[in-house]
Amino acid sequence: MNYTFQFSEVLDELPYLLGGAGVTLQIAFVAFWGGAIIGLIGALAKVYGGKASKRIASSYVTILTNTPALVQIFLLYYALPDLGVLLDPLTAVMIGLVLNSGAYLTEILRAGVISVRLSEIEAATTLGMSRLQIVRYVILPHIAKTIYAPLSNFFVWLVLGSSLAALFGVEELTGRAINISTANLRSIETFTVVAGIYILLTVIASTSLAMLGRWMFRVKVRVF
Amino acid sequence: MLERLIEEAPLFFNYHNLVFIGQAMARTLGMTVIGCSVGFVLGLSIAIIRQSASRVLLPLRIVVIIYVEFFRRIPFLVVLFIVLFVIEPMMPGTSLFGIATVSVCLLSTAFLSEIMRAGLESVPKAQIEAALALNFNALQTLTMVVLPQSWRVILPPAAAFVVMFIKDTSLASQLGVIELTFAGKMLVNRGFSPVLGFGAILVCYFALSYPLSRFAAYLEKRLATS
Repeated sequence: MNYTFQFSEVLDELPYLLGGAGVTLQIAFVAFWGGAIIGLIGALAKVYGGKASKRIASSYVTILTNTPALVQIFLLYYALPDLGVLLDPLTAVMIGLVLNSGAYLTEILRAGVISVRLSEIEAATTLGMSRLQIVRYVILPHIAKTIYAPLSNFFVWLVLGSSLAALFGVEELTGRAINISTANLRSIETFTVVAGIYILLTVIASTSLAMLGRWMFRVKVRVF
Repeated sequence: MLERLIEEAPLFFNYHNLVFIGQAMARTLGMTVIGCSVGFVLGLSIAIIRQSASRVLLPLRIVVIIYVEFFRRIPFLVVLFIVLFVIEPMMPGTSLFGIATVSVCLLSTAFLSEIMRAGLESVPKAQIEAALALNFNALQTLTMVVLPQSWRVILPPAAAFVVMFIKDTSLASQLGVIELTFAGKMLVNRGFSPVLGFGAILVCYFALSYPLSRFAAYLEKRLATS
């Protein structure tokens, strides 16, 4: 084993890699907020919906959470052209991740929807609270306490999960790492640096989310 | 599109393809089972090391914390690449399945150790002090006081993790391990319709994962801290 590590070639490409980290964060953001919209609709359907909408929402969740996102996106990417819809890789990955995270977020948000009890809102009304006050002091703290920690964990998980976009040729962090390593043949060094960037990204994300939670909702979230 | 599917279906579901998919499913299951078993054992050890307060173990504790944080914060795909590029030159003969299994074990150890730690921490400190006062040694405290109580906290999230894990192994297809996802890709490359190929693979994953996720949900209900 006479291997000398040479990080200089990789570190020259650092701006390129950091640009990839930006794309990674963009994908995670889109997947998170798109998923949150689907998740909110799904959660409301699961809790307050009629029989049909309950069934649709829960089978959506079951199917999407029990199969890998990778194969779902494969299906989107390779099967839709048969129907005449051509997606570029980034769009396919985004749609796939939004649908996938929508299923997980349905479950997370459902817990939040359940946590608000009607009797508490009635009690607040009796105390003469305005509608705004009820939302601010009764509903939000409850929801935040139940869902804030899982939500922030899920966002971090999405940052990591978006790496599968690389398999479709999207140039996010992992994709750019593959590009570089095939050019300079310094694979170990490249992927070590990329691992470092991922760690930095997720540590920054989870610390700032924890601080935000403490400051805005008084929720204690563990970072480590 | 539908005509194409109906036309191809009898060709697709022939004996050869079904055996092929079955073998691929066995590989997916194998990676999951090996990864989770190793992860359970090593993860428990790591959780115990992190719980202990002894000074002698301090360096080990730091190493273990770095290990866990490292593998929890990088994507599985990157882990796969790093393991591939480290093992390949060191042991040139290693099979791709072996490399994938090693990375799977590394990952599951990190994640399961966090779950176990939460379980161990759920036992009140006073009980451990009480055990100490009763002259229990460390092993006795662990096996007779801490573990029996922490199982109900550990099991539901651990089962949920195994469900996640089955899906994560799909990324090993990128190395060329012929597990379910790669089998699907190969079938599609042979000219079968993607809907049929990947659809069948999705059904296989669902068949593996659905019973387990039902079991996880059952455990969560059954073992909910009363």
